[in-house]
Amino acid sequence: MLTKIDALPPFQALAHPLRNPGGESKIFTRLLKAGTIPPQTRKRPSAEATTSPISDDTTRPNKKPQLASAGKHHHHQGPEAAPPTPLTTTNGNDSSHSDIDLAAADAMDSDDDFMSNLSSEEDMMMQEDDSENDMSNPEDFDFDDEPDLDAGIKDSQQNKKRNYLDIDFKVYRPEDIQKQQDDLVDEVNMILDISKEEAAILLRHFRWNRERLIEDYMDKPRQVLDAAGLAQTAADKPRLQVIPGFMCDICCEDGDNLQSFAIKCGHRYCVDCYRQYLSQKIREEGEAARIQCPSDGCNLIIDARSLDLLVTPELADRYHELLMRTYVEDKETLKWCPSPDCANAIECGVKKKDLTKVVPTVSCLCGHRFCFGCIYTDHQPAPCDLVKRWLKKCADDSETANWISANTKECPKCNSTIEKNGGCNHMTCRKCKYEFCWMCMGLWSEHGTSWYNCNRFEEKSGSEARDAQAKSRVSLERYLHYYNRYHNHEQSARLDKDLYVKTEKKMVELQKQSGMSWIEVQYLQSASQALQTCRQTLMWTYAFAFYLARNNLTEIFESNQKDLEMAVENLSEMFEKPVQDLAQPGLKVDIMDKTAYCNKRRVILLEDTAENLQKGKWTFNIDLTSGAPVVSPSVNPGVTANPGTSSGR
Amino acid sequence: MALCQNRLQEERKQWRKDHPFGFYARPQKNQQGVLDLKIWECGIPGKEKTIWEGGLFKLVVTFPDEYPTKPPKCKFVPPLFHPNVYPSGTVCLSILNEEEAWKPAITMKQILLGIQDLLNDPNPESPAQAEAYNLFKKDRVEYERRIKRVVRENAAP
Repeated sequence: MLTKIDALPPFQALAHPLRNPGGESKIFTRLLKAGTIPPQTRKRPSAEATTSPISDDTTRPNKKPQLASAGKHHHHQGPEAAPPTPLTTTNGNDSSHSDIDLAAADAMDSDDDFMSNLSSEEDMMMQEDDSENDMSNPEDFDFDDEPDLDAGIKDSQQNKKRNYLDIDFKVYRPEDIQKQQDDLVDEVNMILDISKEEAAILLRHFRWNRERLIEDYMDKPRQVLDAAGLAQTAADKPRLQVIPGFMCDICCEDGDNLQSFAIKCGHRYCVDCYRQYLSQKIREEGEAARIQCPSDGCNLIIDARSLDLLVTPELADRYHELLMRTYVEDKETLKWCPSPDCANAIECGVKKKDLTKVVPTVSCLCGHRFCFGCIYTDHQPAPCDLVKRWLKKCADDSETANWISANTKECPKCNSTIEKNGGCNHMTCRKCKYEFCWMCMGLWSEHGTSWYNCNRFEEKSGSEARDAQAKSRVSLERYLHYYNRYHNHEQSARLDKDLYVKTEKKMVELQKQSGMSWIEVQYLQSASQALQTCRQTLMWTYAFAFYLARNNLTEIFESNQKDLEMAVENLSEMFEKPVQDLAQPGLKVDIMDKTAYCNKRRVILLEDTAENLQKGKWTFNIDLTSGAPVVSPSVNPGVTANPGTSSGR
Repeated sequence: MALCQNRLQEERKQWRKDHPFGFYARPQKNQQGVLDLKIWECGIPGKEKTIWEGGLFKLVVTFPDEYPTKPPKCKFVPPLFHPNVYPSGTVCLSILNEEEAWKPAITMKQILLGIQDLLNDPNPESPAQAEAYNLFKKDRVEYERRIKRVVRENAAP
């Protein structure tokens, strides 16, 4: 079927109204706005869409550039989603969507950074309390208001250089996701004149690609219905029936009052068997979108309405939850927030192939910051692929192999790995009793009279072995250098987890001792947050640096890294000071300065890295594009996995 | 449990009334000599005009308590030389997999006919034993020679 679609003559594809290049962002906007539009007017936009496709004929060949510009436009309109100013990015609160924040963000470009940072911080904190209620109102997602547009353009001009860190994304709460689905279903239901349940099944079959669905359906409705598991005929609404003389083919019951049920295909079974079947599918197999009729070979899908008729509300809830999951999982641009107990999903347009160029860090309304590409916690500046390799390197025992090759040799006869733990060069393999010289690895008996003083030391084979060993040791030490620093920051970040509680306690104490107000001690909170984010970043700079080849850019990177690290350690030291010291006005200013400085250094480092990544300027000591890491020649290749034959599924 | 027993009794009734030629299927007797409806001994003949013709292959079908919600397990005794039969003898077939094509309405007759079809029409996409699969893929002549031997060893009476 796929190939057929591709082969459609262009005019056919064009004739379809909804295939307009700008459609993506337009429709999106409509979806977002839909909640504020009364139901009777909601139909208007799609009606518009069906009558205005003619101009698209000419724009079709240019589809790609147009799409790109549509995306750009969209970006201008939605500055809140990815805050244009670095300071908002650093404080971990950048998910707040409001005009106040935007104003605050604007203000932060002024010279007195730390003061405005502080004020924006407060804004956000106050915001956070009522954001719970505010966010459910779709108006908050309405990015298309005129003033926003202007502000967006202004911002992007001011921060042209900073765009490398900007990632467009949006956070959706469960009700938004439900609404998106409902709107799509409504639209298809209207355009194709089929029931909502059927529209939903069709949409799921097409992985929520409405344009393709409508195009295909117009073209060959029978095949589409068949493939999606829908009946051709219009039948009565599904209902439970008692039919005289009916016998259920599953349980073979044939009581007089046996309630039975069938979907449009007419394969009729008793209600108990149907329920049993559905609960097995939903609860045991986690299936929802593709539950077929229980009859053998019948591929008709059981729709939501029939299901609600048959199962307990509890099971129906589970069913709808599973359905909702398929929506997010079907769409490439949507991903669940990985934070525990968070039901939000994030939309981001970054494609898999872009991941060598950008690190799409997004942050959910719940405060969790993560990479949209690999769902791992924020790992800027390192790209996903490096992170994966690094974690694997740290997790598996590839370093064990390195150690083995640095510290052991193999018996020349039986290849057992031997660690020399003292004594002379006369080795006797414990396994095969082979006697050899540890220095030249030659047979011991050939050493003649020069026992205990190998005169063959300078021979070629011996020097090669020495070179290999030295190399291995260097690479191990290099790894340990980066790993220890990475690990140090990781651990500090972990310890910082309860820092929030500690900070709060400190703030209360400080209030008591110094007579400062709650607002006046907020700077400690900002400092603690800065510490956490900066440590997270520092941690990954070490993983990143491990894979960097030595050149000028690397030097710059390392000096940025050093600056940030020094600033963080300084701030950390100030932060740890006893409360009575903190009460001194001088220290407060110092801490505030240092906090702002840390945040700034972090953004500078990240921007620099992101820019070079985007432009492809980094040179790595591994090949980022190919899958396999470059294997260091000193690693002992002795053990290979035995490729067994796979059997079964 | 009651559902399982009911259904199996009905399956047995239906089978006795009518079943395809050359097949047999009967519940096993347990130690006390009582019929155990949950374990059936079956025989599947090789299809006519195929290399399997003339063979009769013994199959033990075990029904779980959750039957017919869950599918029965079908096992050739002794294990059969066939790409989709596990070394244990268990048959690997989509309609026998609850996460794939199993439907509660599938009958004994459909299962046995399905397995008969599988004999001469193996599915190389889901191999279950290395030996038969490799021969089937790489050396069809030797594969067919082996099948003929298996048929001779399991000749229909």
